[in-house]
Amino acid sequence: MKKKIENMKYNISEAFELPRDIIMDLPKLTVLGDKEASLLNHKGIIEYTKETIRVNTKSGIFKITGEDLEIKTILAEEIIIVGRIKNIEIIS
Amino acid sequence: MLAIKIWNYFKGYVIIRVEGLTLERLLNLAASHDIYLWDVKRINNIVLEMKSTTRGFKELKKIVKKVGCRVEITNKTGFPFLLMKLRERKMWVGGFLLFWAIIFFLSSLIWKIDIVGNEQTPREEIISLLKNNNITVGKIKYRLDKEDIKDLLIENYDYFSFVSVNIKGTKLTIEVKEQDLPPERVDKNYPCHIVAKKKGVIVKVVPKNGKAVVEKGKVVNPGEILITGIITSEFGGETHLVHAEGEVLALTRYSSIIREPIVKNEERFTGKTFTQKGIKIGDKGIQFMKGDIPFENYKEFVEEKSLINLEKYDIDFPIKIVTYEYREVELKEVKQNIDFLKNANQIAATKEINKELPPNAQIQSKNIRHQIDDNILTTQVIIETIEDIGKKLIINNRED
Repeated sequence: MKKKIENMKYNISEAFELPRDIIMDLPKLTVLGDKEASLLNHKGIIEYTKETIRVNTKSGIFKITGEDLEIKTILAEEIIIVGRIKNIEIIS
Repeated sequence: MLAIKIWNYFKGYVIIRVEGLTLERLLNLAASHDIYLWDVKRINNIVLEMKSTTRGFKELKKIVKKVGCRVEITNKTGFPFLLMKLRERKMWVGGFLLFWAIIFFLSSLIWKIDIVGNEQTPREEIISLLKNNNITVGKIKYRLDKEDIKDLLIENYDYFSFVSVNIKGTKLTIEVKEQDLPPERVDKNYPCHIVAKKKGVIVKVVPKNGKAVVEKGKVVNPGEILITGIITSEFGGETHLVHAEGEVLALTRYSSIIREPIVKNEERFTGKTFTQKGIKIGDKGIQFMKGDIPFENYKEFVEEKSLINLEKYDIDFPIKIVTYEYREVELKEVKQNIDFLKNANQIAATKEINKELPPNAQIQSKNIRHQIDDNILTTQVIIETIEDIGKKLIINNRED
């Protein structure tokens, strides 16, 4: 049932060319080189160390690994991570 | 982001240290409670360092209790905290303000008075006149009225044709232009030279005081010294200054050229007119076109009228109705009599020279030349006169 609604939402947004990240509440990750990553629509931090940051989202867990990672800003919708990013993984 | 940072600086923010095991949960709770945290740094396994607004910190304290962490402030930065610090260092703040006050005060005084262009008026006299009217070094420059100084100088020296007063930084510069004075009127207490006021060939030098430095037949340029007021005694080599006086007669030349076309276009209105209207708002105008102007040769007359007449109240209403009127003209070629034209040109040129001639000049010769090129008659009138070209120039009028 839930899957059906999701599918419908996807189809509607596809048909009307609406931004999918807003309609379906999906995370949006923007990476700037290896220096900065900003993640919109997150659902909370699970782990935060200098080497690994794991963030919960609707599409699963985003795992960002690297060196000297630091949370530049944390807001209800957005997290900005700076440092040297080496690996981005989505664990669903 | 920069705007937020500046805002935070003015509101003040704290750098805090949180110790605990469930730090991620704390961050999530803070985010969901709309507490703005930034620059979150992991120090070690159980310690985080972050920045927060003062208000955010107060709210964070409540959450911290729930999560079971410990929080402490390591540093306070921002404008409100800076003020608090400064309140404890009153002398330092006082010194800082005093420094600026002194700088401001000293730079608002007049420190130097410069007078430029006074050739026949002694500098000391102008300075003392200003002093009598309370304008000296050390006065506050904002209290000086430039117009007053101008009026004062023009009233006291009727031969000043132009006075400009300028205050730049701490320097008061007075620039004057003098008319040439008759030599008798220059103050005899001050040493002076006699210099040439125009170009000429020296005919005769009669020094009454001072020493002539030019001889008969020499060509002199304006500003050249004719009779010097610096006298070197023959034996000792000592110099002393005198008020030079004397007459310097020189041959001077005046010339004037007038060009006049022989065939002339004369314009005459035919009486036909064509009008167009337009609106002008401020400096920008719109012209309502009603077809092209039907004349080949015409003159344009523009008349502006305010939409609402407020002239009584001295207000220039910015919206105006503009009437463009084009009047047709007829061009007619008129050939003029050459002899008549030559005569007219000659009179015009002589008149022009007469304006320049000083009253006591003796006319030696008059030369007239006519030349016809294509359509233009060129007439040159040259008049040679003998006149006194001496002008007194006070020595050491400048301070430097």
